[in-house]
Formats: sequence, C-alpha cells, structure tokens
Amino acid sequence: MNAARILVVDDTPFNRRLLVRLLRDIGHETVEAENGRLALESLRAADAQPVDLILLDIEMPEMDGHETLAALKSDEALRDLPVIVVTGVDELDSVVRCIRMGAADYLPKTVDPEILRARIEASVAQKRMRDNERELTATVERQRSQLARFLSPQVAALVSSADGEALLAGHRREITAMFTDLRNFTSFSETAEPEEVLGFLRAYHAAMGALIVEHEGTLEHFAGDGFMTFFNDPVLQPDHAARAIRLAIAMRERFASLSADWRRRGYVLEIGIGIATGYATLGRIGFEGRYDYGAIGNAIILASRLSGDAAPGEILVAARTYAEAEEADSELRAEPGGERTLKGFSRAVPTYVISDDAAAAVDGQPAAEGATT
Amino acid sequence: MTLDPDAMARLLDITGSDQGFVDELIDTFIEDATSQIEALRSAAAAGDGEAIVRPAHSLKSNAANVGAALLGDLARSLETDGRTGDVPDAVGRVASVEAEFDAVRDALLAQRAAR
Repeated sequence: MNAARILVVDDTPFNRRLLVRLLRDIGHETVEAENGRLALESLRAADAQPVDLILLDIEMPEMDGHETLAALKSDEALRDLPVIVVTGVDELDSVVRCIRMGAADYLPKTVDPEILRARIEASVAQKRMRDNERELTATVERQRSQLARFLSPQVAALVSSADGEALLAGHRREITAMFTDLRNFTSFSETAEPEEVLGFLRAYHAAMGALIVEHEGTLEHFAGDGFMTFFNDPVLQPDHAARAIRLAIAMRERFASLSADWRRRGYVLEIGIGIATGYATLGRIGFEGRYDYGAIGNAIILASRLSGDAAPGEILVAARTYAEAEEADSELRAEPGGERTLKGFSRAVPTYVISDDAAAAVDGQPAAEGATT
Repeated sequence: MTLDPDAMARLLDITGSDQGFVDELIDTFIEDATSQIEALRSAAAAGDGEAIVRPAHSLKSNAANVGAALLGDLARSLETDGRTGDVPDAVGRVASVEAEFDAVRDALLAQRAAR
C-alpha cells in the first residue's frame, strides 16, 4: 500500500508519540494535534496538506472526540475523511456513539501494530476508492458537458446512451439535409478587418446555432460561413422535411436583421440555403482520435449543390422534400423553382423556392406560378 | 506497588526492541503523570470534584500504557467519583495515588539503571 498521511489527535503525549512511531514504522506520514480544536485548525489551514485518515482520541480537553467528529461530519470539505477512534477499555459506549456519528472504525489504546496496520489499510483503501469514484464521476460529467458544447445536443445524448454504440457504428436512414452559406462572404472577408470578420462570424454562428437547437436539427459541421444541418437522425422526426424548411425560414428572417447592421457599414451579405431529402448512411466518421458524427449520401450532395445554386436570400428545396413538407405542414408556401442542372447530377433536378411570406401566408394565397431563375 | 512486566515487554516488542525509544516513552510518562498528579492535588485541596476528572482520566490512560495496574485503578476510581461531583476523601486518595506513582517511577528508573 502507498504511504498515507495520518493526523493523530490525542492529548496524551505518550499515546501520540507511540502512535506516531508505529505509523512511521509501517511507512506512513504523520501530523499531530493535541486536541480537536487544533486538529480542525490544521485541517482547515489554507496551506494544509491533505490528510488521508484521522486517528482520534475521545477524552480530550478543549474539544473532545465527539465534538470533533460532529464538526468534521458537518464540514463539506472534511466529511469524507475516514476517522478511526482510539479508545480506552472502558469507553465502549463512546465507541458506539462515534460509529453512529460516522467514525469508520475504532482501535483500542493498547494497540497491536498488526491490527493498526490492517485497519488503517482498510480505511485508506476505502477512502482512495471513494476519491477515485468521485474523480471519475466528475470526469464523466465534465466530458459530458464538454461534449455537449462540441457536438449537437442530440449526438452528445446519443454518445452517452445505452444504444449509442450501435447507432454510432453506422446505419441508413432517410434524412433531410440542409446547407446554409453566405453570398459575398469571400469578398467581405478580404476587405473587412480580420477582427470584424471574426466578430461577424461569432454573431452569425450564435444566432444560427440557437435556431438549429431550437428546431432540434443535428448540426453536422460548420466551416466558416457554411452550416450543414440534418433532421431525422439520431432522433427520429417524422416531419423532418417540414422542420428543415421551417428552420430555413427562421434563419433567413434572423439573418435579415443581422445583415441590416452590416449593410449600414457597407458590407452586403446574403444567405443561401439548399434543402434535400433522401437516404444517407450515418454514424461515426473519421479516425481514432478525431471522429465526427457524419452523414454520407446523395441527399447531402444535392443539398450542398442547391445551396450553391440558390440566389441571394433564397431557400432552394428539392421537389421531393417540398412534397413531404407540404403534407406535414400545410402552412408552407413555395413557388416552383424550375429544373436545375447541377454538377454531379446527370438529370436536371426539379426544385421549389420557399416564399418569403411562407410562414405568414395562411389560407389560399396562391404562389406565383412558373417562376424560374 | 504493581508494575506488569508484560507491558514493558510489549512496548519493546511493538517498537522493534527500540530500548532508546521505550526509555523516551517512560520519560514522557513520568513527566506527564507528574503534572497530572499536581493537578489532582490542587483539585482535591480545593474540593473541586469536577476538576479531578480530566487529570484522573489521563493518568489512568498513562498508567495502563506502562502496566501500572494499581495506579490505573486508583486513578479510575477518582475519575468515576469525580464525574458525580462528589469525591469522598479526595485528599487522602490523591496522596495514595502519589505514593503509588512514586513507587512506579522508582521501579521504572531502577529497571533502567540495572541494564
């Protein structure tokens, strides 16, 4: 066993000297106090070295063993320190009382070194186990809260859930993917001061991030001015297409007020959003030491191409996505966006453009027909 | 006078036969017991039963350490009565304690001198 640091509290010099000697003989470090008050003082001192165990005499002037034990147990920082009560033969009543008060064990005053060794080992081992447990719990909590900051809340929850491993290993599912990026961001970042660019990005990420969380989207990544968010995974969302469009509308509205500020400073920034639905393979992507929760599939590439093709301020949605969304949310409004020829897609893709007043338009305002870019 | 030789043998045994250290312990005992007896004497003279309790308790515990059984018993009975606040013949009993302690001390020091 490793050396422990033990505080010996006893008013009788003979007992203190003998205990200290026996403890040193079996490899422990010792600290001494003449009574409970001095013991508490030394434990609470600002420069106090932590102690692993206390050997406590009962009958002492100023502050006896019972009072000391009560003070220790009501002190948050000292509560878990194991206390072994050292008692004379006629103090058995006190022993019972001390154990009820939380003493870990007791030793007779005429102590046998082997018993001393065994009881101290047991108490210190227990304390170390508790310390380790507490450390482990704190580490897990810290990791969980750090994880929640780095990952989408859904993914963080998934990682710490029981069936997380199976889902992380990889699975196929229909998702709605959404790409968001900015028009003119490159020229903005070339002409504005770097501090301004960072300041803008921070405000932009904070605003968009809050909306993604609010709409329960899974943020796969963000890079500079771009976001990739998807719905229906890892949490199932039957209305994933409609959710994605609602998030896009909220983002566009929020972005309008954000960019108005920047327009006054002479920077014209516009948002462009592409949305597509389809099957994707989802799970852990990356390598040991750096994994992301990612999605791979045609729908993701399509959403990315659509966002690239979207006009400033436009939400461009694959026809299939809009059909699904319309079914789930009859308040959504869109105009046909024509068939788009996109890089990597052999056939032209039919699209819809989400109307500006989509959220507000309620009944029967027919969207303009046949609008194309 | 009673002095249990086993107690001394045991102290030597548990300290790995460190006679020098055991001698230091005995000196500690003599010093400590002397001041406890001093306290007992003034408490008895003042007729203060409560003031007898603590030095009597410490002396009892010290006596047990060196195997001075009779000294321990005398101290214990003073402690027990002291807790009730009424110690009959306190002065006389403290004098017996003192006489027993003197004998124990002399025996301990004689043992050392004989080595």
